[in-house]
Amino acid sequence: MSLSSSSTRPLACIKQAIGQCRAGKQQHRRYAAAAAAPDSAYPSLQTKYPPPPPGFRTSQTTNQNRFETGLRRIPTVPPPRSTTKLCPDPIQALTTTQLLTLDPTGARTRLFSPFNPERVQVGDILLFRLKTGDPVSGIVLNVRQRHQPIDTAVLIRNNLTRVGVEMWFKVYSPSVEGIEVVKRAEKRARRAKLYFLREKRHDPGSVEGVVKQYLRARQGGVMNVREGQKGGKGGKKGKR
Amino acid sequence: MVNVIDNSGAAVAECVKVLKMKRHAKVGDKIIVVVQKQRNFGPESGPGGSVSVSAANKVRRGDIRHAVVVRTAKKYQRPDGSVVKFDDNACVLVNKGGEPIGSRLSGVVGREIREKGWSKILSLAPMHL
Repeated sequence: MSLSSSSTRPLACIKQAIGQCRAGKQQHRRYAAAAAAPDSAYPSLQTKYPPPPPGFRTSQTTNQNRFETGLRRIPTVPPPRSTTKLCPDPIQALTTTQLLTLDPTGARTRLFSPFNPERVQVGDILLFRLKTGDPVSGIVLNVRQRHQPIDTAVLIRNNLTRVGVEMWFKVYSPSVEGIEVVKRAEKRARRAKLYFLREKRHDPGSVEGVVKQYLRARQGGVMNVREGQKGGKGGKKGKR
Repeated sequence: MVNVIDNSGAAVAECVKVLKMKRHAKVGDKIIVVVQKQRNFGPESGPGGSVSVSAANKVRRGDIRHAVVVRTAKKYQRPDGSVVKFDDNACVLVNKGGEPIGSRLSGVVGREIREKGWSKILSLAPMHL
């Protein structure tokens, strides 16, 4: 048809070619419609009944002709109620309840809150009183909070019998009875993690002496730690 | 290479086999070691010098011995969520029956050795964590 003729045409007269192409398309469409409409050509495709009127809609007729009495009602399950409205932030809610049970006084939360200027920072010396065994002390190398405040953990380092020992403690762990700040860092560390203290030339060594002094001062019953330290020193000298 | 922290006479040993395991040894596991370096008790043997010298003859360089791991530089987690890591790997030499060869230890050991049935080593240690 037009395709074969267009293939022989020179490419220069594009406009004409497009026009012809459009005409050919329309012709093609008309041809297809004509082919679909008449069933008379194929007797096997003819139906027994006359075709429905043009405005006929199947769904309407079925609805009109249906009788509903005596029909069994199929039970339907309503969709589950969305829990999003019930509890918009479940993780937050869980955290609050856990904090309430694990830290009812809020002391530990305050000790590690980022808004507290007196919070525990790297370089401080901490003393962990555990439910089982001896208290563990050391310099804070790292304070870590992974997902939620409940995960807050502290890495402390100490030298025991001249062997470096590092321990991670979960702040809110029930096995930790108490956390005490033995000594604040003299100067704010310029690093968030003091891993360089593992190197030999930076290793501050054991914190045993500082902790002992602190404990002695506490036993003395002095409220202020600094005064207590002085008092403790005095007491030590006096004993000697 | 593992530090030996008892007074059996070995200072550094090399682990050649982890017993009853197909993986790395942890605190409290029994291993087989080859003694690589002997400890010289010259300067640091103080009051108990004669004892340690006699103990020093117990093992020689090149000996193949059983040992128990008491410290690992790899951090390990306790059931309560705390994590412990030492700066070095250390072991204590034992004989095949499980008795420690040395008579004293010089250093902190992990508490896990008690659960593995090495309370004898734990009682010898000056400190456990």
